[in-house]
Amino acid sequence: MNRAHTAFLLVVAILVVAVSFSGCKGSSSTGSPSAPAALADEPNVTFKDLQGKDVTLASFKGKVVLVNFWGTWCEPCRGEIPILIAMQTKYGPKGFTTLGAATNDEVNTVDPFIHNTQFNVGGQQMTMNYPIVMGSDDISTQFGGLLGMPTSFLITRDGKIFKRYIGALNENQIVKDVESQL
Amino acid sequence: MKLAIRFAHVFALTALFLISVSRTAPAQETSAVPPKPSDIVSTKTYVSLDPVPRGKEFQAAVVVKINTGYHMNSHKPTDSYLIPTTLTPQLPAGFTMAGEPVYPAGKNEKFPFSPDKPLNVYTGSVTFRVKLTADDKAALGKTSIPVTLRFQACNLSACLPPVKIPLTVELNVAAAGKTGKAVNPEIFPAKPTS
Repeated sequence: MNRAHTAFLLVVAILVVAVSFSGCKGSSSTGSPSAPAALADEPNVTFKDLQGKDVTLASFKGKVVLVNFWGTWCEPCRGEIPILIAMQTKYGPKGFTTLGAATNDEVNTVDPFIHNTQFNVGGQQMTMNYPIVMGSDDISTQFGGLLGMPTSFLITRDGKIFKRYIGALNENQIVKDVESQL
Repeated sequence: MKLAIRFAHVFALTALFLISVSRTAPAQETSAVPPKPSDIVSTKTYVSLDPVPRGKEFQAAVVVKINTGYHMNSHKPTDSYLIPTTLTPQLPAGFTMAGEPVYPAGKNEKFPFSPDKPLNVYTGSVTFRVKLTADDKAALGKTSIPVTLRFQACNLSACLPPVKIPLTVELNVAAAGKTGKAVNPEIFPAKPTS
């Protein structure tokens, strides 16, 4: 009986460990009710800036990058912009940047928005202070597809996805994660 | 043997702990796609007369049921940058608009991503109406009028891109002078309540 019991427990334990660690490679998502899509380990993505010039994600290697898919039409995206402005101010000099990828938007909407819209950042009125590029369905696909907006990806200094955030950012969590990568 | 049992217990408990931790750490890679419009809303179209005699004014309506947990901007959202819900008929020959589409008023609601600023939104079931006229060029018999519903929906933490859903209003056109029977009174009461 004891031998059978021991064998059973060992089998259960091995199965549990096997299930636990299968497919653990990759990045996590937070704040999402849905399962995450498959992520590229190291997305090789080329955006267009507002002047139509290519901006590769690879050109940011050496920096910790938060790729933030947002839209001028998206209220939760707007709600987290003050957090992103504050992070850019605080962590920019330490090798961090947010890269805002405007999605389902037009350049002639985004351009005035980023220059004219004031955000309350700790009582101070500020405009967006980080680089903005245009997103697209193709680019979203290269990140595994977007389940909603905003969606952000924290990229390590060597260009790998560290974590995905679906929905509005939790300020404490993103600050902690960024600091862990700097 | 007792040592082996104890070891097995410890091993099993450790494994259970690890699996619980792994569920909050990097997630398993699975395939997922963004919600489709049909995951967010269901729609049904109605007309107020059957048949619709040529020369008669009638109403078409689209009833939109928004799934629990989602909302869409109303036709008059609180800010100009928010994308309003619109209904746009593409009228075939023989039909004219007898007025602008009628949109119900939205509700002002606060959301976790906009705790200080209420947004004017639709939730639950909403009905959009438009008055149309079939003139003497309207094709007799069964006809379809395409309409496009455009909306942009969000849940409590994230938004979906704006979408356009093509719909059709099915009706039956009769010759002028025929009697059109009022139908769908639950959608078109004698005195419309918007």
